[in-house]
Amino acid sequence: MGRVGVDTGGTFTDFVVEADGSILVHKELSTPQDPARAILRGLQVLGWVRRFERLVHGTTVATNAVLERKGARTGLLTTAGFRDVLEIGRQDRPRLYDLRQVKPSPLVPREWRLEIRERLDELGRTLVPLNEEDVRDAIDVFRKAGVESIAVCFLFSFVRPEHERRAAELLRQAGFAVSASHEVLPEYREYERTSTTVVNAYVAPVMGQYLRSLEAALPDGTSLWIMQSNGGVVRAETAARQAVRTLLSGPAAGVIGARAVARALGFERVISFDMGGTSTDVCLIDGEPRERSEGRIGDFPVRMPMLDIHTVGAGGGSIAWFDAGGALRVGPRSAGAEPGPAAYGRGGEEATVTDAAVVLGWLLPEAFLGGTMRLDEERAREAVWRIARRLGGSVEEAALGIVEVAEANMERAIRVVSVERGEDPREYGLVAFGGAGPMVACRLATRLHIPTMLIPPHPGTLSAHGLLIAPFRRDYLRTVMLPAAADPTRIDAAFAALVAEASQELARDGIVPTEALFQLALDLRYAGQSYELTVPFDRSVETAVERFHQLHEQLYGYGDRGFPVTVVNVRLRVTLPTDLARAPAPDTVPTPWEPEPIDVRPAVFATGQRLFRLDVPRFERSQLDTGALLVGPALVTQYDATIVIPPGWRGIVEATGTIVLRHREEPRDPKKSALAQGA
Amino acid sequence: MHEPIPVDPISLAVFDAAVRAIAEEMGAALQRSSFSPNIKERLDFSCAVFDDEGRMVAQAAHIPAHLGSMPDSVRVVLEGCGPFAPGDVVILNDPYLGGNHLPDITMVTPVFLTDEPDAELLGFVANRAHHADVGGISPGSMPIATELYQEGIIIPPIKLWERGVLNEAALALILRNVRTPEERRGDLLAQYAANRTGLRRVRELVTRYGLDRYRQLCEAVLDYGERLARHAVAQIPPGTYRFTDHLDDDGITDDLVPITVTVRADGTSLTFDFTGTAEERPGSINTVETVTKSAAYYVLRCLMPEDAPMNHGVFRVVRVIAPEGTVVNARPQRAVAGGNVETSQRIVDVLFGALAQALPDTIPAASQGTMNNLTIGGTDPRTGRPFAYYETMGGGMGARPGLDGLSGVHVHMSNTRNTPVEALEYAYPLRVVRYQLRDGSGGHGSARGGDGLIREIEFTCDADVTLLTERRRFAPWGLQGGEPGAIGRNLLIRRSGAGLEEIALRGKHRFTVRAGDRLRIETPGGGGWGAASERG
Repeated sequence: MGRVGVDTGGTFTDFVVEADGSILVHKELSTPQDPARAILRGLQVLGWVRRFERLVHGTTVATNAVLERKGARTGLLTTAGFRDVLEIGRQDRPRLYDLRQVKPSPLVPREWRLEIRERLDELGRTLVPLNEEDVRDAIDVFRKAGVESIAVCFLFSFVRPEHERRAAELLRQAGFAVSASHEVLPEYREYERTSTTVVNAYVAPVMGQYLRSLEAALPDGTSLWIMQSNGGVVRAETAARQAVRTLLSGPAAGVIGARAVARALGFERVISFDMGGTSTDVCLIDGEPRERSEGRIGDFPVRMPMLDIHTVGAGGGSIAWFDAGGALRVGPRSAGAEPGPAAYGRGGEEATVTDAAVVLGWLLPEAFLGGTMRLDEERAREAVWRIARRLGGSVEEAALGIVEVAEANMERAIRVVSVERGEDPREYGLVAFGGAGPMVACRLATRLHIPTMLIPPHPGTLSAHGLLIAPFRRDYLRTVMLPAAADPTRIDAAFAALVAEASQELARDGIVPTEALFQLALDLRYAGQSYELTVPFDRSVETAVERFHQLHEQLYGYGDRGFPVTVVNVRLRVTLPTDLARAPAPDTVPTPWEPEPIDVRPAVFATGQRLFRLDVPRFERSQLDTGALLVGPALVTQYDATIVIPPGWRGIVEATGTIVLRHREEPRDPKKSALAQGA
Repeated sequence: MHEPIPVDPISLAVFDAAVRAIAEEMGAALQRSSFSPNIKERLDFSCAVFDDEGRMVAQAAHIPAHLGSMPDSVRVVLEGCGPFAPGDVVILNDPYLGGNHLPDITMVTPVFLTDEPDAELLGFVANRAHHADVGGISPGSMPIATELYQEGIIIPPIKLWERGVLNEAALALILRNVRTPEERRGDLLAQYAANRTGLRRVRELVTRYGLDRYRQLCEAVLDYGERLARHAVAQIPPGTYRFTDHLDDDGITDDLVPITVTVRADGTSLTFDFTGTAEERPGSINTVETVTKSAAYYVLRCLMPEDAPMNHGVFRVVRVIAPEGTVVNARPQRAVAGGNVETSQRIVDVLFGALAQALPDTIPAASQGTMNNLTIGGTDPRTGRPFAYYETMGGGMGARPGLDGLSGVHVHMSNTRNTPVEALEYAYPLRVVRYQLRDGSGGHGSARGGDGLIREIEFTCDADVTLLTERRRFAPWGLQGGEPGAIGRNLLIRRSGAGLEEIALRGKHRFTVRAGDRLRIETPGGGGWGAASERG
């Protein structure tokens, strides 16, 4: 019996199959109109259809439904007086200085946002009882308008869900698909809760239909699992109900893959760096991937536990240009897949990062995508020459400049997930993947003083690999808003309710609760603050509060033990690792050997402002067995990526197939440098 | 003018990204560690990096009102607080000494290469945050006042930390003069932490580039800002453009308060001359000159690309003439609480009004032109502790040529977020009855002005309320035949016998309410653009 991870991307659908201990990789062109077609075709090509017990899927169906505004016809019920909360949002305009800015219209138009007379206060006391007549009137309106899916979001419903529950019940009886805010996100802050619930209502029917048809097409005995934004998988049925949890499905799988690659070699602290054609995703992994509680899809906020993945619009296809102030800029505009970089020879004329890499000799025209697509070096040079003319230097200098400016954007992204979260990137390794990641990662690591870099065996399909090994995971949360000094049994009671809810739902996914790991946590803050820190809870509020003080001090430079602390939310995370994820790290040190290059190619590197054209040995990755030594400058080509190893870096192929590269210089001890002083 | 520094376009782009990241990382640190919703949720703060001459190199601004005034804070500190040593941190809020209005407390940290006593000065980092209360005659410190002394504690530039040692006595003095001292203390510590982040990062950048190269690149970034600004100015046809608009009143008298500007464009630079503007007033609508400059820089910035840098180089292309003793350049000790938030908006309106004559296809009609400041104070019956709540409200954005204005957003000089209803009801003895768009308040036109907002609040205890609002008398104007937006309204709704009585309130008003009273604020709509008959 085998397992398969299938990651649907914009251009390719990637497959990684695990069967009887061996791994097989496959790519199909994606079929955006019906992503299932590419999946089924790939499974047929793989020929093992009958033998998969488990298919784990990273999907963009929910994300695309929002971005392309192709979700269900959605209605919204709110507390009387608050139907515009969804449209007003936080009353800020998206951009400070843009006189032509626009805001996207809400996913629910105003005429389908209906108000219900009901109101609770912050303690859940009824100020106005639920007016069921209003709900019935709303049902009539929705029916006439052909609305399919309804979001229900009443004020303070997370304190006491009775009103919302009753309204949802009436709607469900009337045949509507319903997303109630106390089920989707029982957390305070009405706009974010409404937005999240509405996004769920908008995408759930689309997701449900897609997953049901995919599941029906799979052979009997193959269970379908879906990746969520939190880096864990759930059964398709659960994902369809809570589709809002899958918005970062693909990128999250990449992070899980990166963590596995690192962990297999004993690296616990790494930054995942996934550079594709139009954008780059980065995420900090400190044992576990960093998480955050809110993200955006399009311009709509979604509050859900999700991996803290930061995306910047800089990738291989990003276009270089000069602004009115004379600075060289790269991106966010991208040549995309069509026409693509000038080197693709499909009509693109503007210089991109990919073109710069061709000029520098980093990308070899005949070795791109395993030789299935030849790059046009002349066109690349021509495009970059137009930039060089303006700079007044050589084409190679211009090419390096383009790469450098793109790297500045990526450096910024890595700083956001590390420095802005209070972490020093120098204490981390970098896992580089995606089609373009291994090309620039060494230089980027040098800039950030990151001493170690890891390149997985298949950089272009790491996300699909991540799907295979991702654990089962579900998250539960409820706002309680209690002083930490309050009667601890109230916290215990809140947790008991979450555990009971979870245990019930696990059965539906076929998970045995006693096998799963239940982790409790509290969201704490100083009374009066309005952002929370999450700390683990092991039955003692006192211990959690002390941890909170320490964490606050570590992150923000001060903790105040004299200040009262508020328990905002209780959280429960249920996980169950797959057996694949438990593969032991090989403790053998590989025996080094020096591989023969397949040829020698000219390539350009730089030290400071000076350029060097060097003859660089090129290796073919499939020939690099365990222990192969690589000394920069060197190039490694493989089907789905090119690894550029600049002078100063050297690497070895580990037993897991991952190449570990290290900078020649010892990393500077951060404590000794001037930077850390006075901090 | 100086000789341009030879820095290539690549190094320029890379350095500009790096130095802007410092200001942003400072902002992230401030937001995360501050206490009050005003800073954390509403993002009412700014952070900036300066060179050793006090010129602003980068700013992360959420609030345009801080654009021109942060540099003045640093200038005042540079001139008045030296010599500096590593570990010094200067605090100030005095509008007549580098501040803009008292609730905005600024912290300036000189950055040295190391913590050694003889280390070289690299520059400064500074941040400014709006505190929900700094004392004075009204909770929330946005009072209807006639003198600065009534508006709160005045902090001239002083070293709150000297060589790394906190001046506990000065801090105690400040905290004893505010209504919510614990919260203030937390926010001040957060401001300190933000500057520490900035200091660390500037040192890192200098280490990466070397000091000489760092200084060279700072200079190049300023020139870069100047070039982008000149490019924008070059689009304005040379000429002289005049415009006058009015504030409703100063909160004390009913006298007209005209604001007049003459814009002179010569193809390479701009002069904004406010000669003809009303004399300074007894009420709090006066602004200090730095706020007027902020409004001017904001308008210029709107004509530049969205992602352009905001630094001292940009300031070089515009000259602001604000005659002393007028409401746009008041003298000590005039009250200024409202000038920063309200008059600044009208200054933007007149600048755009004048520029619309030069750039008719670019400039929008008047937006709501107010921040609708509301402060509520009292004692929370649930805890027995005093509370001070400050909120500003969005409204209609003016219609743009061929494009409707946005509804229910903050415009121009502000972009603070609202306090969520549920957060508000947890934190204060208040209940929000409704929060909605104000239908039909946007001005008609071929492009419509955005609609204002309605927020209605019920008080669950007696409280002291101050309203500091504008455009309750003079409506946001339309352009090219577009109609004006609706004026704003403030209503007190009070039980009277069996019914409800609606009492219309002045735009600027301080009053007390009883438990059960309601306050309804309806914010102005934006002006329309083009004749309504031409709407497709």
